[in-house]
Amino acid sequence: MTRTPLATARRPALRGAAASTHRRRRRSLSDNSYALLLIAPAALVLLALVAWPLVKLVVDSLYSGSTFDIGGRRFAGLANYREMFSDPAVRAAAWRTLVYTVVVVSAELVLGLAMALLFYALGPRSQILRTVFLYPLMIAPLVAGLLWRFMLIDNFGIVNELLAQIGVIDSSGDIAWLSDPDLVLFSVAIPDVWLTTSFMTLMLFAGLQSIPPELLESARIDGARGLRLLGSILLPLLRPVIAVALIIRGVDAARAFDVILIQTGGGPQSASETLSLHIYKTMVTYSDPGSAAAISTVFMTVMMVVALIAVMTIWRPGRGS
Amino acid sequence: MSRRTRGIRRTVLWLLAILVVVAYAFPFVYLLLTSFKPASDAIAVPPTVLPQRFTLDNYITALNREGVRASFVNSVTTATLATVISLVLAIPAAWGITRYRTRAGRLMLAGSLLVRMTPAVAIGVPLVGIFSAVHLTDTPTGLALAQTTVALPLSIWLLASFFESVPREIEEAALVDGCSRPRALVSVILPVVGGGTAVTAIFAFLASWNEFLFALLLTSVKAQTTPLAIANLQSQFGLDWGPMTALAALYSLPAVVLTLLLQRRIVAGLSLGAVKG
Repeated sequence: MTRTPLATARRPALRGAAASTHRRRRRSLSDNSYALLLIAPAALVLLALVAWPLVKLVVDSLYSGSTFDIGGRRFAGLANYREMFSDPAVRAAAWRTLVYTVVVVSAELVLGLAMALLFYALGPRSQILRTVFLYPLMIAPLVAGLLWRFMLIDNFGIVNELLAQIGVIDSSGDIAWLSDPDLVLFSVAIPDVWLTTSFMTLMLFAGLQSIPPELLESARIDGARGLRLLGSILLPLLRPVIAVALIIRGVDAARAFDVILIQTGGGPQSASETLSLHIYKTMVTYSDPGSAAAISTVFMTVMMVVALIAVMTIWRPGRGS
Repeated sequence: MSRRTRGIRRTVLWLLAILVVVAYAFPFVYLLLTSFKPASDAIAVPPTVLPQRFTLDNYITALNREGVRASFVNSVTTATLATVISLVLAIPAAWGITRYRTRAGRLMLAGSLLVRMTPAVAIGVPLVGIFSAVHLTDTPTGLALAQTTVALPLSIWLLASFFESVPREIEEAALVDGCSRPRALVSVILPVVGGGTAVTAIFAFLASWNEFLFALLLTSVKAQTTPLAIANLQSQFGLDWGPMTALAALYSLPAVVLTLLLQRRIVAGLSLGAVKG
């Protein structure tokens, strides 16, 4: 920030120079307008591709029937919303979304923190292990879902086979990962956890590395070790990083779609049908765009509010600098 | 703690780390190994980890399925388009945001974050109607535009973090030398953050390459991308695991190789984009 006055002070000096008519014309645009000019194209494209669809979404939510129906769609006011709030299927899907998000994010946080601490304890020589650990970072969620579906199949899946071989379960058909309605919501979360624990580890590891070594040294001299060191020094210092990671991952987990669709399609008996899947099905399978739009509108609003509150309270962007 | 117990503790930690990393790497290795098994061995009971014999049959079967090769062309076209659109828009926007720090810039940064948090299904559902009205359904251009809603905010955030590190004196020197401001951005500042721009391009490309929901909603036959082709192998022919693993391996390999090769740069990009905020 200290540079700003310098830059503005320089301009009048340039203007005063003898051969500056040319330059003055070229720089006649104020910084503010020039910045606006730079930002405007991206802003317009986002308005067209995001704001317009979202407005249309809200408008669509006020109609019932589809444009493909004979007689077209009809204005229905808030009927779709009333229907939605009394629909047990929507409520169940919302609950599943919440459970899925909490399961994924907490599993990732625990595993990611454990791995970050492990790599941190091992020092710079753990570079190769860290590199290998990062590889799922860029794999498509769809492929992750497919891969785990393949590994979790009851009769010829490798996971049950390995569990049976080491004696955890009696026969390889014992755990019906993806067909047991009570278990499936946790099973479909596995690929998501596998896919993004790397990201969590990466962020937490970066956070750990930015802790000044002197601070750890003095804590050690004071006798802090193991869990005490973690609880009273490391975790408080990592708090901002953890907050950002939780927000990013929480939002992503709440809107997860590909991973679940490819594994179960939301089944069995809708037991793994989260809101994104429910909206997709309402739209495509039941061709009810009005209801789909109403649920999307509420889903989006809730996500925005939660995310904004989270950002404002734990992260506070722009604070400090 | 004696030196000896410390040594033992270190060894245990190393073994633990190696064990976890091997377990973590196993799924993708298993995918690769399965893709080289004869199709019937892929679903053998009990399953084996190593193939009894190596064969490329699954790859040949998968690539000869209708629409599969075309889907790779579509994926590359769509991802390239999405990357170009995102970078062309994000480079000036991110520079405008970091260099001038106006209220509009802060609004744009917050707006990008908000877009990043919108559920894709809320944008995708209304886009179906909009795109069919303007004849963009089932075209790579349409899909690339839809995916721009993911790639553009991401690019703006990443580039804004990279531009932070450019000293203002560089631009001032270029302006004194007679460069116009746009010219200074393109030929002086951009080369300074060349690495960052490359990382941003990779992220934008992969965001589109890996995207599934928009592709599912907005394409049907002609513009179908590879993730859809993979998903379709499933519904059309029952569960055809052999060819499916082969196709999934082909489709993920570029992303995995890119991640491992450019690991350091990608880590820098992720940490910047996420931690700094």
